[in-house]
Amino acid sequence: MNQTLLEVQNVKKYFPIPSKLFSRKKEFVKAVDGVSFTVNKGETLSIVGESGCGKSTTGRMIMKLLDITEGKVIFEGQDITDMTDDQIRPLRKEFQMVFQDPYASLNPRLTIKEILEEPLIVHNFNKGNRNQRVTELLEVVGLNKYHADRYPHEFSGGQRQRIGIARALAVNPKLIIADEPVSALDVSIQSQVLNLMKDLQEEFGLTYVFIAHDLSVVEHISDRVGVMYLGRLVELATRDELFGKPLHPYTKALLSAVPIPDPTVKRERIILKGDIPSPANPPPGCTFHTRCPFAQETCKIQVPEFRELESGHYVACHYAEELEIN
Amino acid sequence: MEEKVLQVRNLQTHFTSDAGVVKAVDGVSFEVGKGETLGIVGESGSGKSVTSLSIMRLLKDTPGKIAGGEIFYEGRDLTKISEREMRKIRGNEIAMIFQEPMTSLNPVYKIGRQLEESIILHMKLSKKAARERSIQMLTAVGISRPEKIVFEFPHQLSGGMRQRVMIAMAMACNPKVLIADEPTTALDVTIQAQILELMKSLTTTTDTAILLITHDLGVVAEMCDRVVVMYGGRAVEESDVVSIFTNPKHPYTQGLLESIPKIGDRVERLSSIPGNVPIPAHMPMGCKFAPRCPHAMDVCWDKEPSFDKLTDNHSVRCWLYEEVPTDEPNLVGSSER
Ligand SMILES: Nc1ncnc2c1ncn2[C@@H]1O[C@H](COP(=O)(O)OP(=O)(O)OP(=O)(O)O)[C@@H](O)[C@H]1O
Ligand SMILES: Nc1ncnc2c1ncn2[C@@H]1O[C@H](COP(=O)(O)OP(=O)(O)O)[C@@H](O)[C@H]1O
Ligand code: SF4
Ligand code: SF4
Ligand SMILES: [Mg+2]
Ligand SMILES: [Mg+2]
Repeated sequence: MNQTLLEVQNVKKYFPIPSKLFSRKKEFVKAVDGVSFTVNKGETLSIVGESGCGKSTTGRMIMKLLDITEGKVIFEGQDITDMTDDQIRPLRKEFQMVFQDPYASLNPRLTIKEILEEPLIVHNFNKGNRNQRVTELLEVVGLNKYHADRYPHEFSGGQRQRIGIARALAVNPKLIIADEPVSALDVSIQSQVLNLMKDLQEEFGLTYVFIAHDLSVVEHISDRVGVMYLGRLVELATRDELFGKPLHPYTKALLSAVPIPDPTVKRERIILKGDIPSPANPPPGCTFHTRCPFAQETCKIQVPEFRELESGHYVACHYAEELEIN
Repeated sequence: MEEKVLQVRNLQTHFTSDAGVVKAVDGVSFEVGKGETLGIVGESGSGKSVTSLSIMRLLKDTPGKIAGGEIFYEGRDLTKISEREMRKIRGNEIAMIFQEPMTSLNPVYKIGRQLEESIILHMKLSKKAARERSIQMLTAVGISRPEKIVFEFPHQLSGGMRQRVMIAMAMACNPKVLIADEPTTALDVTIQAQILELMKSLTTTTDTAILLITHDLGVVAEMCDRVVVMYGGRAVEESDVVSIFTNPKHPYTQGLLESIPKIGDRVERLSSIPGNVPIPAHMPMGCKFAPRCPHAMDVCWDKEPSFDKLTDNHSVRCWLYEEVPTDEPNLVGSSER
């Protein structure tokens, strides 16, 4: 039985562009433009897409690190969209974030112990318990208590990412939003951190929203996957469906663009033409039509609906059925 | 045997500071032939970029110095020639593209001017001919509206377009060798696919030898004919691309290949190499990989293995494939092994 932990309903984030002198018209970057999904307890939902498509902005809205322009975020049945800081405080510890850059996300002037204690103090852990908890956390992520008094610069990238994960785990959250947690790491270190995240999920029943651009990592870690393009979800399905039977032309192109680490495999590649358009000025109709090899006249005018084509498999393309046959 | 354009033999590049000497590159050897693409893979800090800067002799502004080894380009040792001679080769016969195109494009000059200057300098063309050549090159790298783009500044272009401009600039003078240091790492996959396709078509039409530096094993598999694997400033394995992927010999190469997730080939748990990438200040004495190696033996901790040919086509730096020296006093009568 699937129990919904998080529900994201048609969220939008429009950033105002500083307007030119005397110009009346307010312009916006439509960083996220109507994204909906649910996340079930204990699963890993990944969000993939190219840079600037709105992945991090989506994550930050769920975390309430950014105001939501429109739409709703519902956590365990409670609408948190318009909650004040005071109202949300008791819920805060239920969802935590792990960031991409293990260098920038840890305060360089604090020891590891102080970094890990911060969330504990905020959430009123008493002092005796705090020490023990810090030791516990370090062990959980494969470090040990001798590391507690050191500073972030004394650690490697992979170790710092472990510390970032330990900090997120400190207050026993239910949901972790991990924004590109392995992207900045060396290949041989990536797999260590991915394995750690899987182990922790099993041990503590964690739910992950995993934001990434590397499809091989996503296939490895996810239960379900959503693909974003220019601020919108274009496809959402179980991992096996998405990788085995992608329905959206963008997903197909994205999958075919990933270089395969096997020189004996030769394959047909869909090379998309052109660049990703600017979210300040997205194309009308289907925003992918400027690069889509299958675009028709309709695509330039009508926004395709994000519809459930097969059970649990959502896609935003007018011609998904026909394309599937070919 | 086919002619090699570039041969690097036991290159050593060291950085000196108050804290001591950092041997960023300490024993790198490889060869590239005409029209061949050689991949250099390794993790961050393994010495890939320093290797390419050494070949280009671009270490002047750093505390780095080539401390040993040879770099033969068309029979001449680039470590020995004068800076004046090197200037004729750099950017002309051996060109380079960098990971972040903004570091090598000048932000205050228009694209056209930057391309033309390099063409005029190296190819001795008139201003008009240089403009024509610029537009021809921009077209070749798939930039639409090249007549307009020449009047734009680098910051007006997207990352993918800037990287195309860099490639156009590097290829404008028909270089014999192109060194590409992580040319697509900063780009999105769909844009990466465009750039890689472009680089492939350029080598087939011009016979340029490419040195492709990357940490992405997928890119290596798709682009390269031969591969050098680097670890801790050393070349640890070198062979043709199929042998490297299907028959890797060095424990590091083996571990690396096993630790990457592969689309369509799913495993519950990734295998992983324990420990961390070494930092030069704390380089182990013997084999640099010993602290992370599942096969490490006593000798590995004491003595560095040499980079030897297993076959004509496959070199490796590992004691597993080498006769362990017996110059130690014989432990006659010792009950221990
Ligand atoms: N200017 C410099 N001064 C001192 N040390 C340097 C300098 N440039 C590089 N190094 C050192 O040389 C070693 C190799 O660096 P290099 O840039 O070649 O790594 P790389 O393999 O290109 O890594 P990456 O994948 O991160 O680009 C590193 O340990 C680095 O710290
Ligand atoms: N604080 C901000 N102000 C203005 N624009 C922003 C801001 N944050 C992000 N954006 C823009 O919103 C879009 C989506 O960004 P982001 O969510 O960071 O993308 P991703 O994480 O998918 O790479 C981009 O065009 C980005 O430039
Ligand atoms: S709606 Fe049209 S343009 Fe958009 S993905 Fe489908 S076919 Fe392509
Ligand atoms: S020399 Fe020894 S430690 Fe180094 S890779 Fe070979 S077996 Fe491992
Ligand atoms: Mg992001
Ligand atoms: Mg580098």
